[in-house]
Amino acid sequence: LSLLISLPLIGAVVILALPRGKVSLQRTLAVFSSGLAFALSVWLGLRFDRTTAALQWVERLPWIPQFNIHYQLGVDGLSGPLVLLTTLLSLLSIIASFNIETRVKEYFFWFLMLEAGMLGVFLATDFFLFYVFWEITLVPMYFLIGIWGGPQKEYAAIKFFLYTLFGSVGMLLAMIALYFTSNPHTFDMMELIRQSGRFSALFQGIVFLALFLAFAIKVPVFPFHTWLPLAHTEAPTAVSVILAGVLLKMGAYGILRISTPMLPVATKAFLPILVVLAFINIVYGAACALVQKDIKKMVAYSSVNHMGYCLLGMTAVIGANASAGLSGAILQMVTHGIVTGSLFLLVGVIYDRAHTRDIDAFGGLGARVPILAGIMTVQAMASLGLPGLAGFISEFLCFLGAYGVAAQRIWVMLSVLGVLLTAAFFLKMLKSVFLGEFNKRWENRFPDMTARELVSVLPLVALTFWLGVAPGAALRMMNATVTNLVRIFGGS
Amino acid sequence: MPMVSGILPEIILAFAGLAVLVGDSLWPGRDRLWLSLAAASAIAAGFCALFFGADGAVVLGMVIADPLSAFLKIILLGGVFIVILLSFNYSEFRGISLSTYTATLLFSTIGLLLLVSATDLVLLLIAIELLGVGSFVITGYLSKQMRSSEAAVKFFLFGALSTALFVLGLSYYYGIFGNTAIASLLLTRGEANFPLLLTLVLLLAGLGFKLAMAPFHMWVPDAYEGAPTPVTAFLSVAPKAAALGALLRLFSHHPELGLQPLIAFLAALTMTIGNVGAVLQKNIKRLLGYSSIAQMGYVLVGFATAGPRGFSSALIYVTAYLFMNLGAFACVVAVSNATGSDELSAYDGISVKSLPLSLVFVVFLLSLTGVPPLFGFIGKFSVFAAALSSGWLWLAAAGCLNSVISLYYYFRIAHHMYFQAPVIQRSVALSPSLVGSLALCLLITVGFGLAPDSLMALTQSFFR
Repeated sequence: LSLLISLPLIGAVVILALPRGKVSLQRTLAVFSSGLAFALSVWLGLRFDRTTAALQWVERLPWIPQFNIHYQLGVDGLSGPLVLLTTLLSLLSIIASFNIETRVKEYFFWFLMLEAGMLGVFLATDFFLFYVFWEITLVPMYFLIGIWGGPQKEYAAIKFFLYTLFGSVGMLLAMIALYFTSNPHTFDMMELIRQSGRFSALFQGIVFLALFLAFAIKVPVFPFHTWLPLAHTEAPTAVSVILAGVLLKMGAYGILRISTPMLPVATKAFLPILVVLAFINIVYGAACALVQKDIKKMVAYSSVNHMGYCLLGMTAVIGANASAGLSGAILQMVTHGIVTGSLFLLVGVIYDRAHTRDIDAFGGLGARVPILAGIMTVQAMASLGLPGLAGFISEFLCFLGAYGVAAQRIWVMLSVLGVLLTAAFFLKMLKSVFLGEFNKRWENRFPDMTARELVSVLPLVALTFWLGVAPGAALRMMNATVTNLVRIFGGS
Repeated sequence: MPMVSGILPEIILAFAGLAVLVGDSLWPGRDRLWLSLAAASAIAAGFCALFFGADGAVVLGMVIADPLSAFLKIILLGGVFIVILLSFNYSEFRGISLSTYTATLLFSTIGLLLLVSATDLVLLLIAIELLGVGSFVITGYLSKQMRSSEAAVKFFLFGALSTALFVLGLSYYYGIFGNTAIASLLLTRGEANFPLLLTLVLLLAGLGFKLAMAPFHMWVPDAYEGAPTPVTAFLSVAPKAAALGALLRLFSHHPELGLQPLIAFLAALTMTIGNVGAVLQKNIKRLLGYSSIAQMGYVLVGFATAGPRGFSSALIYVTAYLFMNLGAFACVVAVSNATGSDELSAYDGISVKSLPLSLVFVVFLLSLTGVPPLFGFIGKFSVFAAALSSGWLWLAAAGCLNSVISLYYYFRIAHHMYFQAPVIQRSVALSPSLVGSLALCLLITVGFGLAPDSLMALTQSFFR
């Protein structure tokens, strides 16, 4: 697993050492190193043992003995799918960012650093190491948004950075508090989970809130979402893909990996609030998306909406359908990464041609660019939860799971409204961009997708169908881990 | 030899300083030679501190050579070495004789070394004055520039005030104990009466000036802006690390005296004032000046927390701060050599022309912000861990919030370097001495960030 993290890292350093002029060599190297990382993660995925909840391929080396900190990596059913998602989306986004012409070397350097950081977050099983990687992802993202972004990029970059750093100092304090409360003092996540019975309810509550601050900002959970639309809209296409596809998942992953199992009492206590927040995320996100004029911003708000489903799935943890809800939440992370990632790529394709993302500026494009229109329609349908496509399964599981908790049924039912709104804004977007009267402005200026663009999108479309028709393989991968997590809460 | 081995570093520096003065009058105009001599003597003194400086010997009943002082001497001499490297090609120094500067820097360094090893308050006072007078002289060294002279005068006035406070404290101390040895304070146990507390607060105030602890921080921005940049670099790290050493020697055995809440309050005040002040600065030296105030606040958090964990975390932080801040100043020197300006706008688009320099600068800025896996993060982590372990939750939280504020202004520099259109025409030229100092700081900032265990073990061993 160290190899998996170091592949993009080595790629980044080598690219930095290359002379400025050799742009195509830098691109090739970036594809090569992220491609190798993807191949390695697929190989790991194929050899993944689905029957155990224990961490696999564990690496453990002492790092800072004074604080009992270890360099410790491992993968299980929770992180496995996300690792695959990360390497896949990184590879595809790198292919999609060949149209970056300025400061190419720096771009791929930061991009590969980002990939290494994200993989580290999902693979680290020592809290300290997790925190280190968590912070490492912020820096490349800051530069990627700030240098290659849209008109308001600088403001978006620093807002993103400040927001997430604010969250992570909460995590830092919570982490140190957990360390000193555990006995023997440890940062080992598994050990902390084992000791969770030792933590008093009040302590759990405080630590939960501090951690929730960090994770909620990342997810983002209402009311901490305000950095997201800005960052998404201003970021270059490929970076939006990573931002939506992977970075948001880090927050949800943190909740499932750390907050929930380490602080079960607090999690139970805060569930009623979480479910309301999930509801707000779903409905508010969808409502905001409905009124956007900018396609990219609309997709960005749809992320708020979709992460709401994910959060809803997590609240199932004490209910009768707990494992359905949790599997749904994890699957929702993956499908949202795939679907929204591809939507951002497609919006990027449109923007590259039109240099505008105003919904009303288009019309009737469907007949002129059938491939783009077709793919976009498929992904929008997947995103709004059409059965047979990826989004449906995970959203259904999230609802099913959350419905299993009697106390929160009302919120779950209200949240279904969100699905309706989601359908509304996606259909509205499809209608005004691809249907209706053709806007003469784009006559001869709007070619269909190129081969490179197709290469970056088609794998995601294929996965959308595959996960929609046969989600079993993915679900089996997480099954053992989910069951184990449910057991902490005394469920079945 | 055993008698003097403990003060060998000081002796070497004194001879080197005199040699520079005498040599310059015999062979004038060989500044580079004198600077090299000074650099070599700093290294030699450092090795002496390493090999002879930790045997616990007390010289003349006034100077102790224990592991703590040896450690501080080594990092201080390392810092001075980098400052000398920075002085080599500083553009403002062109055309003026540097022999007096070099000698004065060396004499100030003697003051630094005595500050961390003195066991008698009178010698401590002399060390403070030696350091202070030397610092005033080199602050005003660009005598043709009004700002430099103004900085020196302000610095001098505040310094005189704080010395007065220290002397007042010293007189009370003598009245209480009948002598001026620090050992007498260490022998008292748990008698926190009013005169003693007053004495300690006065002594703290005297050292607080060197630390730039609030409310003794007012001189910092003006002095830092006006002083030649290598001197600013020197002032921003060396006296602070040395003053921390003196504080540790004075107070580390007496956590029960009840000064902790006061120091904790001052720590929070110091970081907040520094960070809020830095936000609006447009001159990078002023910005780093305010940031250095804030950084000392974190050191004081560790110091206020007390106990082996707290004190060692303060030492770790000050070591990290010393090298990352010198690294940042090395970048400032490089840019000001190339552009002749210290305004933030001079940094516009530097990354386009000089990517390596701007990446290195970003590493130092990240470290100052406290982003892992860099040395500055290890410092912050140790300090906050120490604070939380002894129940100073509010202090740790205040520190954390402050580092979020600090991100904003540190990254305004990054913003100028990366996001603005370039104003410089060609890449920033780096002299070998600058490259050397950058490399050294970078190595330490990244190296101890990745592998801090040996340093943690070492600093904790001082307070057993």
